[in-house]
Amino acid sequence: MSEVQRRKYSQEEKTSIFDGEFMPHIDSMYNFAFRLTFDEDDAKDLVQDTYMKAFRFINSFEQGTNAKAWLFRILKNSFINEYRKKSKQPAKVDYQEVETFYNSDDVDYQSTTDLRAESVKDMLGDEISNALNALAVDFRTVIILADLEGFTYEEMAKILDIPIGTVRSRLHRARNLLKDKLKGYAQSMGYNTDEEEE
Amino acid sequence: MENNNLSSGERKLQCSDVSKCFQLLESILDGELGEEGKDLLKQKLEKCQPCFEHFHLEQAIREVLKTKCTKQPLPEKLADSIRQMIHDVR
Repeated sequence: MSEVQRRKYSQEEKTSIFDGEFMPHIDSMYNFAFRLTFDEDDAKDLVQDTYMKAFRFINSFEQGTNAKAWLFRILKNSFINEYRKKSKQPAKVDYQEVETFYNSDDVDYQSTTDLRAESVKDMLGDEISNALNALAVDFRTVIILADLEGFTYEEMAKILDIPIGTVRSRLHRARNLLKDKLKGYAQSMGYNTDEEEE
Repeated sequence: MENNNLSSGERKLQCSDVSKCFQLLESILDGELGEEGKDLLKQKLEKCQPCFEHFHLEQAIREVLKTKCTKQPLPEKLADSIRQMIHDVR
């Protein structure tokens, strides 16, 4: 048991940490939960569950450290342990398939460079959201953490329990997959994507 | 496609190490390199057209993600019900 875990907060301190440091992140937490589960009720349960756990284990939270990262870690673990197994999506299979594919070589930098910044900026509808949702859960997660929530690689490594090098490469692969999907939308919207083959 | 066309000013049209450069640009965009990153970025973008384009594409994607994918409306009573649950266990 570390020193941190042995500390006991008073009832008042607990309330103040919970209201002052945990609750302000509820919008981000719900957004994350919804993008993991794609279901309002599941997302609600997941967020509620996370906050209950956060309160139960509040003594292992060190005041002044990053509460948001701490909460995201609990949420992500709850999702893996409870929600993922009952959800219908075959996340693991998808993930391995793409990871093997993208590990096969130096990652396909070239094939994604023909998407243009202008066409991305012109996507005013749900294209980007749909593209994100279409990614396998592990890829979706790193993009949510990095780009939507602004976590650093180090924070992401802690949230996901993976080395920083894995964060970097998974994020890079995730972005390439996202760009492939966006390129598909850009083409169907009639943008010139400088496509020469395909 | 080679270098007959210098429409992009003085930037070279082929990047000699796309793999390394793009990974570096992404780290800079992710804020992982701090001040050092800003100088490196300036150099890259001045000299290399593929890096320039990749950077702007990546930046656009991050902006669109941030504006389009962070607004899932919170269910009305969720915050209250969490506070109530915490109050009850206390």
